[in-house]
Amino acid sequence: MRIGVIKAYFKKELLDIYRSKLILMVYIMPSMLLILFGYGIKTEVTHTRTLIIDNDQSKASYDLVSTFEHSKYFNSETKNLSENRALNLIKQDKKDLIIIIPEEFGKHLLKGLKTSVGVYIDGSFPSRAKTIENYVNGVIYDAIMKRSGSEAENRALITINARNLFNQSLRDEDMIVPGVIGLVLLIAPAILSALLIVKEKENGTIFNFYSSSIKKSEFLAAKLLPVLLLHGINIFILFLWAIYLFELPFRGSFLLYMFSSFIYIIISLSVGLLVSIITSSQIVAYVLTLIITIIPGFLYSGMLMPISSMEEESVIEAHLYPVMYYTHILYDVFLVGDGLSASKNLFYLLILVGYATTLLTVGSLLLKKRIA
Amino acid sequence: MRAFPAIIRKELLEFLRSYGLLIVVLYAFTFDVYIAGNGINLDARNVSVGIIDYSPGFISNKMLSHLHYPQFQVPVFFASQEKLNLAIRNKEIMVGIVFESDFEKRYHTGNNPVLNLLLDATASTQAYLALNYIQHILMRFQDTLSLAPIEIQIHKLFNPNTSYSHFMALSELLSIITILAVILTAAVFVKEKENGTWDIMLLMPTDAKAVILAKSLSQVIIVMIGTIVCVGTVLFGIFDLPINGSLAAFMLLTFFYAFTSAGIGLFIASVARNIMQIAQLSVLIMMPLIFLSGAWTPVYAMHPILEYLSIISPLRYYIQGSESIFFRGTALIDLWEYFARVIVLGGVMFWYGFRKIGKLF
Repeated sequence: MRIGVIKAYFKKELLDIYRSKLILMVYIMPSMLLILFGYGIKTEVTHTRTLIIDNDQSKASYDLVSTFEHSKYFNSETKNLSENRALNLIKQDKKDLIIIIPEEFGKHLLKGLKTSVGVYIDGSFPSRAKTIENYVNGVIYDAIMKRSGSEAENRALITINARNLFNQSLRDEDMIVPGVIGLVLLIAPAILSALLIVKEKENGTIFNFYSSSIKKSEFLAAKLLPVLLLHGINIFILFLWAIYLFELPFRGSFLLYMFSSFIYIIISLSVGLLVSIITSSQIVAYVLTLIITIIPGFLYSGMLMPISSMEEESVIEAHLYPVMYYTHILYDVFLVGDGLSASKNLFYLLILVGYATTLLTVGSLLLKKRIA
Repeated sequence: MRAFPAIIRKELLEFLRSYGLLIVVLYAFTFDVYIAGNGINLDARNVSVGIIDYSPGFISNKMLSHLHYPQFQVPVFFASQEKLNLAIRNKEIMVGIVFESDFEKRYHTGNNPVLNLLLDATASTQAYLALNYIQHILMRFQDTLSLAPIEIQIHKLFNPNTSYSHFMALSELLSIITILAVILTAAVFVKEKENGTWDIMLLMPTDAKAVILAKSLSQVIIVMIGTIVCVGTVLFGIFDLPINGSLAAFMLLTFFYAFTSAGIGLFIASVARNIMQIAQLSVLIMMPLIFLSGAWTPVYAMHPILEYLSIISPLRYYIQGSESIFFRGTALIDLWEYFARVIVLGGVMFWYGFRKIGKLF
């Protein structure tokens, strides 16, 4: 390895990235993805467009209606419509939820007779439908219990004392943002390193490498170091977005965050290196990298589904991809804060280092300094 | 105007002969939609539960027998609080339940029995749903109904079993239509630039407008055929998606919408110099459009600024319209708004792209 050669080549690569406007992709794409996902995905449901049909008009039904009116989860409106007309409003996508309070509702409640409330939910958005269902159940039961249960009866009921660890107020951002950082840092460096090498293949300038006296290690260093450096800055930028824009807590060690992220970028750019070995045109390299990074990045990050809830095969697949190990550490530094004192984090960090060295070695072994 | 059908025929033939592209498009319309429909599920399922039981265990065991598949895994018992905490911190356990030693006594005497729950809230959706399941179980267990004789009859319209695969598969198809209509249209023009045949095209004794229109129409046709293949095989064939509205209305809406996307493609083609730049530009333009569309979060639940911005996203109306057709079975008359907005926004976008690329002729 000759430092002078690497330095010259390295400078040329940086200039190339700058001039070909790839630099825009390097810095716009990760931040854009983070911001769009962070703001775009809301699993909390607010402002459910609600229509309440109160056929009873008694004290009890007014109480129920007013609890809905005072909740930030519902934008409720009370009207007297026939059931069919109301259902048509859901069909036209004007309402999400219709609650029908039957006649004699108040009377039955007072006498302790059985009564029923009809609830219609637009089910075309499944996760929302489920959440709305839970809200409605909660609101109605709460309202009724408060009315009917005597002191002694209420005392006999089991109350749940739930503590939400690591994310007290169940914020969506706390769940999404670390996962997206894991996703972005897997995709972006892989694409960049694959493109830098495949570009030379497509333009034919790879022959300079084949025929000149530059060594394989020098070529690799010059190609991969700019990626590591440029995206190293991204690690920090993403961190700033997470802390200041999305107001995530940061409970772990910054050093662990930086170190594991750098290791992870090495894994990602090695994936790009491997892609560049089997492809010869930029567009194919681009699409292939997207396909092999996005789907596992999503599924196995623990962002959509916790690893502990997965079934047999998915558990094995999740352990095969490096995503899971990194996001585990990410969730730890942002939300949990155990750091390396937890043996699992240390173990996962070592696994990441193992991945990085293996992939990089395999990649550099497969890269041939001659025409295949 | 003999040139018009000739150009369309030429483009279709060229598409069929470029095997790489053909395979990618087929993959997108079949496997990709299948993977999205099959893989993504935001429900809380198979939740891992850890138990510490300091109570004698009669009530607690009865209660725990209600935690079962598919919502919960078989509970794991822990000897001490520290061990449970460690397991939760290591993400091996998502829900921890602690029965205090006086829990059973308090339950029998009716003296405020308290059930302690520890939830790993890093996955906030699942944590919230798991908490709800446990509340339900408690309610059933204690026969709360005898105290408050109310029955809530919930009807989930259009999708009674809350199946995620229907929704995800349809959303993915709509995104694929958007992305491919943009990229294919842009690529058809830029390929000529890249191969150097652009000048030959300029020399052809054909009206520039006819060339642009024919080229975009050919790609719209490809997208329409892909849509038919996807709806027929994946949506109806594999996922057995019910359609409550009219399929013809959906195809018509798709046709108008494909032209909208083609308009964006024309704009990109006028700026990009090679295929690589198309790929980058389309990611930069399409990602925000897809996010603003309400495919992930309904528009009225977004940040107010984003909500206003989404008025200009034709994808928003396309998605709402398509969901209404497939799931809600909206009557044709009530769909006019979606058609009108897609046509107006699409018209503007196509016209702009058309002008932009027309300047290069």
